[in-house]
Amino acid sequence: MADTENVSGVEIQLDNVTKRYPGSREPAVRDVTMTIPAGKIVILVGPSGCGKTTTMRMINRLIEPSSGTITIGGEDALRLNADTLRRKVGYAIQQAGLFPHFTVAQNISVVPGLLGWERGRINDRVDEMMDLVGLDPAQYRDRFPRQLSGGQQQRVGVARALAADPPVLLMDEPFGAVDPITRGNLQDELLRLQTDLRKTIVFVTHDFDEAVKLGDKIAVLGDQSTIQQYDTPEAILANPANDMVAGFVGAGASLKQLTLLRVRDVDYEDIALTAPADESPATLRQRMIEQNRTYALVLDQRRRPLRWVHVRALSTASSLTGAGTPVGDSVSTQSTLHDALEAILAEGGHAVVTGTRGEYVGMIDITTVTDTIKQLREEHEAGSAAS
Amino acid sequence: MSSTTKPQGFSTESGSRRADRIRLLAQPAAVVVLVGAVLVWAFTRNNDAIEAESINAGVLLTKTGEHLLITAVVAAIVTGIAVPLGVLLTRSWARPVAPLFIAIANIGQAAPALGVLVLFFLWTEWEGLWCAALPIAFYSLLPVLRNTITGIESVDPALVDAGRGIGMSSSGVLFRIELPLAVPLVLAGLRTALVLAVGTATLAFFVNGGGLGELVDTGYKLNRVPVLVVGAVLAVGLALIVDWIGAVLEEYLGPKGLA
Amino acid sequence: MNLFDYVADRWDRLSLQAWLHVSEVVQSTIIAAVLGVLIGVAVYRSPIGSALATALASTILTVPSFALLGLLIPVVGLGATPTVIALVLYALLPITRNTIVGLGGVDPAIRDAARGIGMSRVGVLARVELRLAWPAILAGMRVATQMLMGIAVIAAYAKGPGLGGEVFSGLVRAGSANATNQALAGTLGVVILALLLEAVYFLIARFTVSRGIRG
Repeated sequence: MADTENVSGVEIQLDNVTKRYPGSREPAVRDVTMTIPAGKIVILVGPSGCGKTTTMRMINRLIEPSSGTITIGGEDALRLNADTLRRKVGYAIQQAGLFPHFTVAQNISVVPGLLGWERGRINDRVDEMMDLVGLDPAQYRDRFPRQLSGGQQQRVGVARALAADPPVLLMDEPFGAVDPITRGNLQDELLRLQTDLRKTIVFVTHDFDEAVKLGDKIAVLGDQSTIQQYDTPEAILANPANDMVAGFVGAGASLKQLTLLRVRDVDYEDIALTAPADESPATLRQRMIEQNRTYALVLDQRRRPLRWVHVRALSTASSLTGAGTPVGDSVSTQSTLHDALEAILAEGGHAVVTGTRGEYVGMIDITTVTDTIKQLREEHEAGSAAS
Repeated sequence: MSSTTKPQGFSTESGSRRADRIRLLAQPAAVVVLVGAVLVWAFTRNNDAIEAESINAGVLLTKTGEHLLITAVVAAIVTGIAVPLGVLLTRSWARPVAPLFIAIANIGQAAPALGVLVLFFLWTEWEGLWCAALPIAFYSLLPVLRNTITGIESVDPALVDAGRGIGMSSSGVLFRIELPLAVPLVLAGLRTALVLAVGTATLAFFVNGGGLGELVDTGYKLNRVPVLVVGAVLAVGLALIVDWIGAVLEEYLGPKGLA
Repeated sequence: MNLFDYVADRWDRLSLQAWLHVSEVVQSTIIAAVLGVLIGVAVYRSPIGSALATALASTILTVPSFALLGLLIPVVGLGATPTVIALVLYALLPITRNTIVGLGGVDPAIRDAARGIGMSRVGVLARVELRLAWPAILAGMRVATQMLMGIAVIAAYAKGPGLGGEVFSGLVRAGSANATNQALAGTLGVVILALLLEAVYFLIARFTVSRGIRG
């Protein structure tokens, strides 16, 4: 992606980072080297106890690495004062970790306060952050955390982490403790925020679906935080590097992959015979016989799909608006292939594709979907063979 | 908070918020009625010369004052020592020795208050206020020490982690997160210590420390029941008031925002 | 004479006082336990009743023990009677409080289940609720016993039996040869006995608390 001018995040580089606890023979984190690109969401995902949280906590030095170097935006993180470092690195954790004796506003203003901002600026910032995460400042400013729902607490947690506008945001299973619907909403909102903010976000989770949904890149970690595969979600789904990753990706990798692709990215074809709604049934019948078609798609004036008509129904029909059967599920070019597949199955083998204004642009069928997956696999296999 | 932690050792915690509310209202009223009635009775009856020597405003005020002074000195010593000590013992570098201090304080409280008082008197050969206040303070130390440690240790580690994670220094986390959240338990401990102190202060006269116990003793030794009753009832009233003050402090000094 | 010589010399009297001390404390605890559990059972279903009972019991505990003893002397005289009355009153709070908390803490689902399989009210109380509340009640008794050990020393002022007598003799004879030994023997004796009783409570808990709910 070339648009780097709006990126507010900075690159994080881990080099040969190892964490060894006294008294245990094996290190908790062994020799991790990875680059977290500026302005991207990188997900650390792995089974519990694999050291993913330890790895993340070494970035803001809540855990001190035993050896190795960590640079954030070119600065050696291990040379900075740890508290100063952490004020520049946002931190959001499971169940938000809000201070129960502070109001929402006080929670959000902690870091700006530590950085010595003046009162007025902090107050403005609190309102700005609350707006950003979708909480009405007038209503929620002076509430205590226990007066908020789990989802709202989590929003405040994110607002607190972002309050001092840090270039880097660390998130440790931040949505692990909320119900699935709220989690989905919070994930969508994080993605929305990120399109504006373009922070560098390191996100720890054990939920692979969450990783696929949020990550620009995913690092699948094994024991001792060893990197099993570090790639885009598409690449990992298409071509797991080893059995451990495949096991973690789990069943239904192809289905998960479909959620990453949009209809506009695949070759749908304009293969249907279309007819304007005001065409007479007789002329359409004539055209269909000439082109040897059994079905035609009737469109309205703005070319939006209306009905399917069978050639035999046309001999008795008086107008095209009443003949045949209405079009059921259609998919837009914005839809994911996952949604498209659903429509294809419901419609019996193919689905109508519509453009941004709902106009007919083509047809997609099951072979389009399977071909796409096959092609992706081959690409990534070739790619990994080359590297 | 007090209703969820099982009280250990001496504690007047009722374990019920509603009971606390009842006491908050009823206790001062009961004290006024009880002490008022006894004082009216004592001052209006025909006191003989010996009784009159004790039952007069001057003596009663002096003894009450002595009693309160011991209680206040004990409270100051206990707060000044137990809270900082409790905080120190929760720092990571002091964790290994914390059980030792708790054990010493535990034994201190298992020892009978009167025994500690008398032994201190016999060993130091002091007498008066300090001879009474120091052993009583030692004896009352445990509830505050234990509650300070428990209070800080029961702060959700995720909050400490969050505090450190967003860049608070360790003292920032202590003063802005850990201590404020431990305040309810510290106050509960302090209230217990106050009750212990005001109760044990009735024994201060054994080491010439004065206090209302002296009136009880005078009445008993000279076989003057009114003197004994006035002394005892004043001591009871004072204890209830001190406990009530502790309850009020608990109610209004705790951090807001907690359930 | 050092402490050991003193204790060896007065062993007969000290051991008798120790026995009396433990005996009065244990008996008072048992009386208070019976009363406390009865009160607890009577009020635990009613929030107001529970609040009143615990408020009253905790108010009693606030009363200085020396003042209470003093008030009892003109009414019931000297000796064992005021001692036992005072000790029982003080033991009531921890036991009543813990009974109410323990019974209130029984999962309503368990109570429902017991009723559902056809147990009577009394059966549920005796076989389910009190069994589950027993660790809390026992903890209350332990706290009460520890407290009474110290209060019984003060009760010697009202000529109550026990090791308090040694402490008072030491105080009265301040300056004489064995004053400190006497006070020390009394005080340490109480500490040792308190620790022994603690061990007894540990054993009772070990053998009477159902293994299913042992923490």
